[in-house]
Amino acid sequence: MKQKGKNVNLAIMLAVITLFQLICAFTLIEKGESKNRLNIIITFAGYIAAEYLYFIGSRLFLGRRSFEVELIAFLLTSIGLSVTASVYPSLAVKQLVAALLGIAGFVVLQIILRDIDFCMRMRYPAAFLAFALLAFTLVFAKFTNGAKNWIYIGGLSIQPSEIVKVLFIFVGAATLEKLQSNKSLTKYLIFALGCIGTLFLMYDFGTALIFFFTFLVISFMRSGDVRTLILVCAAALMGGVLILRFKPYVASRFEAFGHVWDYFDSSGYQQTRVMIYSASGGLFGVGLGNGKLRNIFAATEDLIFGVICEEFGWIMAAAILLSYGALLVYSIKHSRYARSSFYAICACAASALMLFQASLNVFGVNDILPMTGVTLPFVSRGGSSIISCWMLLAFIKAVDRGTYRYGGVRQ
Amino acid sequence: MKSISRRALTLYLLIFVFLAGSVLTYYRLAVNADKWAMNKANRHLYTDGGLATAGDITDRNGNVLVSTVNGVRTYSNDVSVRKATLQTVGDGAGYIAGGIQTSFKDELTGYTILDGIFNLKRYGKGNDVATTLDSDICKAAYSAMNGQDGVVGVMNYKTGEIICIVSTPTYDPLNKPAEEKEGMYLNKFFKGLYTPGSTFKIITLASAIDNMPNLENMTFECKGKNGKGQIQIGEGYVFCSGVHGNIKIEKAFNQSCNCAFASLADALGKDKLTATAEKLGFNTQMNKINGKISRSSSIIKLDGSSALDVGWAGIGQYTTLVNPCHLLTVVSAIANGGTAVEPYLVSKITTPSGKTLYTSKTNNSTEYFSPTTAQKLQKYMRSNVENNYGDYRFSGLTMCGKTGTAEISDSEDAKPNALFAGFSSNPDYPFAIIVVVENSTYSIKTAVPVASKVMAAVKKAYS
Repeated sequence: MKQKGKNVNLAIMLAVITLFQLICAFTLIEKGESKNRLNIIITFAGYIAAEYLYFIGSRLFLGRRSFEVELIAFLLTSIGLSVTASVYPSLAVKQLVAALLGIAGFVVLQIILRDIDFCMRMRYPAAFLAFALLAFTLVFAKFTNGAKNWIYIGGLSIQPSEIVKVLFIFVGAATLEKLQSNKSLTKYLIFALGCIGTLFLMYDFGTALIFFFTFLVISFMRSGDVRTLILVCAAALMGGVLILRFKPYVASRFEAFGHVWDYFDSSGYQQTRVMIYSASGGLFGVGLGNGKLRNIFAATEDLIFGVICEEFGWIMAAAILLSYGALLVYSIKHSRYARSSFYAICACAASALMLFQASLNVFGVNDILPMTGVTLPFVSRGGSSIISCWMLLAFIKAVDRGTYRYGGVRQ
Repeated sequence: MKSISRRALTLYLLIFVFLAGSVLTYYRLAVNADKWAMNKANRHLYTDGGLATAGDITDRNGNVLVSTVNGVRTYSNDVSVRKATLQTVGDGAGYIAGGIQTSFKDELTGYTILDGIFNLKRYGKGNDVATTLDSDICKAAYSAMNGQDGVVGVMNYKTGEIICIVSTPTYDPLNKPAEEKEGMYLNKFFKGLYTPGSTFKIITLASAIDNMPNLENMTFECKGKNGKGQIQIGEGYVFCSGVHGNIKIEKAFNQSCNCAFASLADALGKDKLTATAEKLGFNTQMNKINGKISRSSSIIKLDGSSALDVGWAGIGQYTTLVNPCHLLTVVSAIANGGTAVEPYLVSKITTPSGKTLYTSKTNNSTEYFSPTTAQKLQKYMRSNVENNYGDYRFSGLTMCGKTGTAEISDSEDAKPNALFAGFSSNPDYPFAIIVVVENSTYSIKTAVPVASKVMAAVKKAYS
């Protein structure tokens, strides 16, 4: 009986989400220029097809019963896709391809995570790969908008630090057997310090902060050693103060924080515009395509929360915020029944990472935190970011016992 | 495993912090939404720093004073109407702080927290604001001012509807001058403060009527030489424009005898004079017009003043200051039998779909004068027009009034401000008027003719 109920839930939820996506698609087709129609049709048709393929495949061939996390991710991704298709119709298909790659990565990573022994063996290669990717970026990237975090390969721009997020959690969590030993934590500490230090050298402070936060969550989950973590935080805080003290230009990037209205046309420009246009949206928004924030720099990336407040309204924006909370609640709840602490740590770290990143993004543009220029998970435009988010979702999916119930899991 | 899941529970703390941050975000959004949405950088509402898309502002006869046509803010096609109503209607860029376009931004753009500016998108315009102004009377007043700086205000003393406001210097919003003139962004009717001069004698007289039962039998002395009277008050002298000899109160009011009113003020003392003025709203924060447009408060400050200062204050000099809208409300209260009506400017706000959002109501709750005092003041002000200013200037209006010529500087070359405050006691034309002409000569030569022309236009319009 319970399972039947869940099927109905899936069908209803899927229908609601599809309806939302169709409404977005038709709005864009109706309002957009005719030359963009094909792009929009391809984007939405491709996306909805992938969505149904995934759900029907998982249900029929894998016998999956619960789809909460995927429903959330599919909905968030389609909101981002709609905004991208509306603001940059020519980039919609590219964003779709990235999302499909992300979904593929999500499926593949789930398969990899099934074999815990394999994962344990892969932790050193993964650590090496993570560090190599960051070092490569540091050497070869050029400054883009004040940070050195983009690599350009044949017309494609890639942000390797996004992929490293996945590896960072993988490496951190894959040490479960030596649980509660401070020695094993030391190695991870060195690895984390290396990653975060490299990000600092790239001036990518937002991502560095996300890595540091994730490191704290993983360390806490592994050791429960609050004292050491407080020590680490204190050291980091001192380090941060020293950086701000001796590198004043770093501090100047955050000069507008707390009083963006005084920097209305300079470093508070984006934040104030987000507030102005969020306010214009009201509870129900002015409608997709009718906004004005979209004309401001980085509207579909850093400022996308404002675009959603303006065009979809405050209620939809609140639903997005709650989604990140829901993913973490899901991870915490399923940690209790997880087959392995590896899964529990992975899931909690991945969902905490996304929650933290969403906080930096949303509170950053609303001047509650300094604006660090990080993306809103699943929603912001950007290939690396969307792929990374979907792969992180595999960690959350893996903690659910139901995920590997029917193909057997190696223990 | 147990320890891991226990530690995982600690992560609920993160969710709690995240939710707290989200609540804070939404709280700040909800509290500031209105202010943020109305920011001039909002391209939904403004182009090139000017309000572009908003509802119509109309006068009492439905004439459009400003509206949005094809995304452009369009003013009346009569240049005199544009100039005459500019400070009241306000400019789109917000230079004129108390203009309707600034004070009623929310209403004109149709902004609500619920829908944001969605209605603006849907209808291409916001809510319409209907005012009590009569653009023909405003135009007549603007032309009567004939290029002089100052204020004209007319209101219905029974209902509180303000039918005319003109504040000069003004400019044509379609052809803004490169050179700014002092005061052109100011609605002097609401924001101006003037030395009242002899118009303040109305208030001194009211205080005397209330406090001196023997007033009508009193005789005042105005003696002097070379055509100038003077009287000693305390340590010094108050001077008069004429030599009126021995004079009774009605005559003294007609002739605006400074000696008589300075000695009345001296006899009343600063406490009683201040008490009367404060009962009429001096030194009090005035209610905003329609709850939106703020105005200056009239001031009388006699703490620590000498007897001579009080004497000068009694004839509207010294440090007394009046706001034109307030003085108009005071004379309206006299006309209305003592009860002051709250002046208002916006009569109705309607949505693009025709729903009425707001209708103003006449609010006459404050008693400024007792009915007997009001009646006596009416009689004396009527006598001024009959015996001094001339009924021929206000034919058919049974006009009552008081002039004032306010010295605003000790310098010999300085020109005074000329004032006139009055009302028609003909029940067919229940209108009161205030006129201020700056840098003028005697009010009978400047302010009274302006009042005469404007009241003639009022009479013509409401016959």
